[in-house]
Amino acid sequence: MLFEYAVIGGILLGIFYALLAVGLNVVYGAQKIINLAHGDIIMLGGYGAWELYNTYHISPILSTIIVIPITVLFGYLLNRLIAPRLVKASDPEMLSLILFFGLSEVIQALASLVFGSAERSLPVSSIPTSRLVLFGQGYPATWWVSALVIIPLLAIFVIFLYRTSIGLQVRAVISDSVEAAVAGINSKRVSGIYFGIGFALAACAGVWGVFIFGGVSPTEGAAITITAFAIIVFGSLGNTLGTIAAGIIFGIFYQLAQVYIPSWSNLVPYALVIATMLIRPQGLFGRRQRIA
Amino acid sequence: MLEVSQLTSGYGSMQVLWDISLSVKENEIQVVLGANGAGKSTFLKVAIGLLPLWSGDLKMNGTNIAPLAVAERVKHGLGYMSEQGIFPDLSVEENLRLGSLRTKTKSVGDQIDNIYERFPELKERRKSLAGGLSGGQRKLVGIGRALISEPKILLMDEPSSGLSPRYVNEVIERLAELRGGITLVIAEQNISFLSIADTVSVIEGGKTRFTGSVSDFNNNDTLKEAFFGIE
Repeated sequence: MLFEYAVIGGILLGIFYALLAVGLNVVYGAQKIINLAHGDIIMLGGYGAWELYNTYHISPILSTIIVIPITVLFGYLLNRLIAPRLVKASDPEMLSLILFFGLSEVIQALASLVFGSAERSLPVSSIPTSRLVLFGQGYPATWWVSALVIIPLLAIFVIFLYRTSIGLQVRAVISDSVEAAVAGINSKRVSGIYFGIGFALAACAGVWGVFIFGGVSPTEGAAITITAFAIIVFGSLGNTLGTIAAGIIFGIFYQLAQVYIPSWSNLVPYALVIATMLIRPQGLFGRRQRIA
Repeated sequence: MLEVSQLTSGYGSMQVLWDISLSVKENEIQVVLGANGAGKSTFLKVAIGLLPLWSGDLKMNGTNIAPLAVAERVKHGLGYMSEQGIFPDLSVEENLRLGSLRTKTKSVGDQIDNIYERFPELKERRKSLAGGLSGGQRKLVGIGRALISEPKILLMDEPSSGLSPRYVNEVIERLAELRGGITLVIAEQNISFLSIADTVSVIEGGKTRFTGSVSDFNNNDTLKEAFFGIE
């Protein structure tokens, strides 16, 4: 019984973790950089949901939609600001790490100033409250409601990426930005939009993170970034479907650890990265390119 | 159709091209020969706009294209096939589909079908990732994508690179089939490509050392020996 509980609960939570990581993967795909401020964007999404609920009584379900255009625009403008500098830099990877580390610190400081250092949470009554009962086991409303909101969100994102012309252009830029430029694709604009979408997905995860993590605080960003990084390495850097699958697998592992070895469960992300690096460095869904 | 005069360029502050001058006529196949590091690929990158032109003239059908961005040059009818030539993480069909981004023709499906007719082996692998194809098939995908984009001039950077001799001959045969319908500028160090060329330019040390017909090149033993060790 405990095993079934852990697996089903893990899948529900894993859907959230998939969203949590996919935004980081998108930003990596758009610019080939690791966004160290990813967890802080998630944190901002959480504060956004908290503010919208407390000031305007807007449900987190609706907040998930409201944060999208704001964060797409923010991400797009940020990309247009930093991308030209990264392109010209002699060591763009290092510059991007420093830049996003700085951004992370600034967001944390601003969040502390505006919202204070205490953790903020949303009442469960702000979403449907009935528990999901499966095979005689009850699962919290926050788990299944978040999964119910996130599944269509991820589905729309995947359809955008794999079934639209702009999605094809995005994947072309990710595959080879120079080749994309000579195919007539405006790589800068496409990268900027995709980068913004990465921020929006992170902010959407933040809305539900308030429930899953039990609240939102200015200092939570770094731990979230590490978890998201572990998932995208596990699922293969740059691979969207791999990240989604890895998020769900991570959720199952995490929940199994919570049930059977709870005091060790926080080690799951680190164990996952180390195991991936040792056993399959290209990630679970990575592949090697044929030579000649 | 393409006029290049006293072109100079380089990477950062390092000058690589010192004086490139050549001329390509409509529907002509010109092979730009040169050893590794001679500046052939750099020249093509400048022509398509991936690298800045420092000085000199770059004209297409009399229009100065130097100030145009890459996408505008593509729109103007200039095509480019890099050494890789493909998006390895996309399927064969998606690669071909990307060729139609800047064309005005609506029937993308028909264009792709035409490519499958020309290169039937690609149809069999239409859903496969391009990065998983053999070297020769990858080149066909690159050529197919370039053809769908309907360029007036197609610049090809070392289509023989990474290919075994068997595949090189296959690529040459396929390019020969395009004769008369497109203007090709092929940067190569493999002299087998002269078999399909109308004209030749030789680049050495970032400068054009020779430009003329294939027969003139073949009759110039000094040039052949100096640059390619062919006696």
